[in-house]
Amino acid sequence: MNVEGRIASREISYAEAIREAMDIALSSDERVVLMGEDIGVYGGAFQVTGDLVHKYGEERVIDTPISELGAAGVAVGAALTGLKPIFEFQFSDFAALAMEQIVNQAAKLRFMLGGEVSVPLVMRFPAGSGTGAAAQHSQSIEAWLGHVPGLKVVQPATPEDAKGLLLAALEDPDPVMIFEHKLLYKKKGHVHKGHYTTPIGTAAVRRTGHDVSIVATSIMVQKSLEAAQTLSSEGIEAEVIDLRTIRPMDRESVLTSVRKTGRLICVYEGVKTLGVGAEVSAMVAESDAFDFLEAPIIRLGGAEAPVPYNPDLEKAVVPQVPDILRAARDIWSGRI
Amino acid sequence: MAAEVIMPKVDMDMTAGKITVWHVDEGGWVNKGDVIFEIETDKAAMEVESEAEGFLHFRLDEGNEVPIGAPVAWLFSKGEEVEGPVTSPENLAEVVTVEKFEAPPNTAFFSIESIEGQRATPKARKLARDTGIDLTTVAGTGPRGRVQALDIEGHSANAPLSSESTEGPLAINHSKVGEGDPIVLLHGFASDALSWRLVESVLENLNVILIELPGHGKSPKPGLRDFADLVSHVQKAFDALATGRVHLVGHSLGGAIALALVDSRPENVASLTLIAPAGLGPEVNGDVLHGICRANEAKSLEPWLKLLVHDESLITERYARLALRSREDPVLRAAQLSYANILFSDGIQAFDLRAELVRVKVPTKIIWGKNDQIIPWQHALQASGNMALHLFEDIGHMPHIEAAAAVGKLIADNVENGI
Repeated sequence: MNVEGRIASREISYAEAIREAMDIALSSDERVVLMGEDIGVYGGAFQVTGDLVHKYGEERVIDTPISELGAAGVAVGAALTGLKPIFEFQFSDFAALAMEQIVNQAAKLRFMLGGEVSVPLVMRFPAGSGTGAAAQHSQSIEAWLGHVPGLKVVQPATPEDAKGLLLAALEDPDPVMIFEHKLLYKKKGHVHKGHYTTPIGTAAVRRTGHDVSIVATSIMVQKSLEAAQTLSSEGIEAEVIDLRTIRPMDRESVLTSVRKTGRLICVYEGVKTLGVGAEVSAMVAESDAFDFLEAPIIRLGGAEAPVPYNPDLEKAVVPQVPDILRAARDIWSGRI
Repeated sequence: MAAEVIMPKVDMDMTAGKITVWHVDEGGWVNKGDVIFEIETDKAAMEVESEAEGFLHFRLDEGNEVPIGAPVAWLFSKGEEVEGPVTSPENLAEVVTVEKFEAPPNTAFFSIESIEGQRATPKARKLARDTGIDLTTVAGTGPRGRVQALDIEGHSANAPLSSESTEGPLAINHSKVGEGDPIVLLHGFASDALSWRLVESVLENLNVILIELPGHGKSPKPGLRDFADLVSHVQKAFDALATGRVHLVGHSLGGAIALALVDSRPENVASLTLIAPAGLGPEVNGDVLHGICRANEAKSLEPWLKLLVHDESLITERYARLALRSREDPVLRAAQLSYANILFSDGIQAFDLRAELVRVKVPTKIIWGKNDQIIPWQHALQASGNMALHLFEDIGHMPHIEAAAAVGKLIADNVENGI
């Protein structure tokens, strides 16, 4: 880690932080290439790659044809044979087209070839709802990939982590899937200059409190922090944990918090059933932290429905601040 | 004589109905057979026709859920003077429940616990294991009677705390020495003698004696079995005053104790002033009482204190800090928490002094704030015809603080003139 570089920080957006990470990687490691649809001259569907093609040329910032399966196959092959591709999906939903390469190839080759090869592939998935892009462009499918041994799955919630986790992913010998919430791209935050990494598999305690643990991912971290502020004025001190990585999950951070507060709320945008919150809850239920629970666990997740186009309904199908407030008041006052 | 319009029973399983819409305005004329309101039950919605004619007054608001047989409005005949409804206490208590306190649907009050399976949180089970407490002996305060960690902690507090802090006489402070029979002031739950400071300053040239309840202020903190146990502690202090007759004033829990004392020592009480007294109905805001007992920091105490008053601006951060300072002693807090579990278990008042109220013979005033969020002021309506009711608009559970001058004057009036 470049200690001197980390001293200086300034406010930049989440998208700029990702671009900066890719810029650092492209300039310091010639094996790094970017791949994706419209990431060249167009700058990417969400303008994350921006003008990197002018700086590094079309050989390293590669526009791919509209075939997610084909392009992902090329990326897996490139990773197997010495490159470090950073592959961007236009929308995380399109990963469905590339599942064969992600799940059956990238995730399994190390195991099936006796550990002789690895697939140092980084994939970036613009995810989540809130942009009016409807059912096929608004999903949060991180739990799909979180279910696959051989993959690592991260969900940065801040610009600082967006950069640090991407640089950490590049140092990882195995495929790392990065889910970036589309509504976070324009959010600004302090980001350290230069090269640094945020360790994969570690959660961050964003706010300490002793009354209830709120374990959140991605944009739900911001919403939970907002709720925690209101709760504090009511005398309820919430501890907000940003999970950051959903595979491998930071078990100890969650259990430590639950042992302290005795109350757990999981907040995530993916569909509630069989999702991230189910894993967090089960982790607690299977551990000694169970003995510290003072109330049933509450999961706040996405509705059991495709994300609708209607803006009011689109908000209603994912947890919002008032939902978190209600859950915290219920779990605190013993109404559940 | 005004006729009641009652919530009808329209199906076999119905226990209560919700008033969804009124078809007659307040004061409007109703003919027999007119549709006057619509109700909704668990199963159906239907219109209710009037069985009599008259002017409709004192309608309960739409949205209220009312037990069957309870009045929802009154019909007054032509020329009849429109006076406040005469409500029987039973009905009143139930109606008040739905008006003022939305009890969570799953309160333990209504549930029948199975003998073999005790509800307890994992944390409570662990605490019980670690401290050797038999879970089945602990009364749970959580949903459906679930034992929570604080119940175990409260249970431990019921066990003798430490000998010097549990025994001995209550703290009695003869704060003002003046003329006439003394005025004995009994403070409320989780409060202490300091809460009377503002009222004291109004009671000029009078004798004032402050008794601090067990587990409160400077008094010892014995374990309590029940309300009667609490009263017996206070009665000992009361008897020890040996002053002949006194004027008794009680706030909230202190009011309930005052009622019990008048009942057992009628010859020693010259007048009674009850301020938002407990004991006149089951409803009480248990969340607030437990919240105050549990607060470790001014920040967590402040929101609960705000529910005690109408004018929240009275409860400043500084006030909350000072209030917490008098609750610094963890033994005091543990004692009060255990009392709360005994006296207000499951968020209801576990004691009833309505019979005592009926038996009161001395001049009695009942003072209540109509924005009381702890005990519904409607409990006051059970006063008999020869008692005085003083209901203050825009005042909360602490009239002796929010309207100290007026309350002080009312006490002085009762002392000097007997109501």
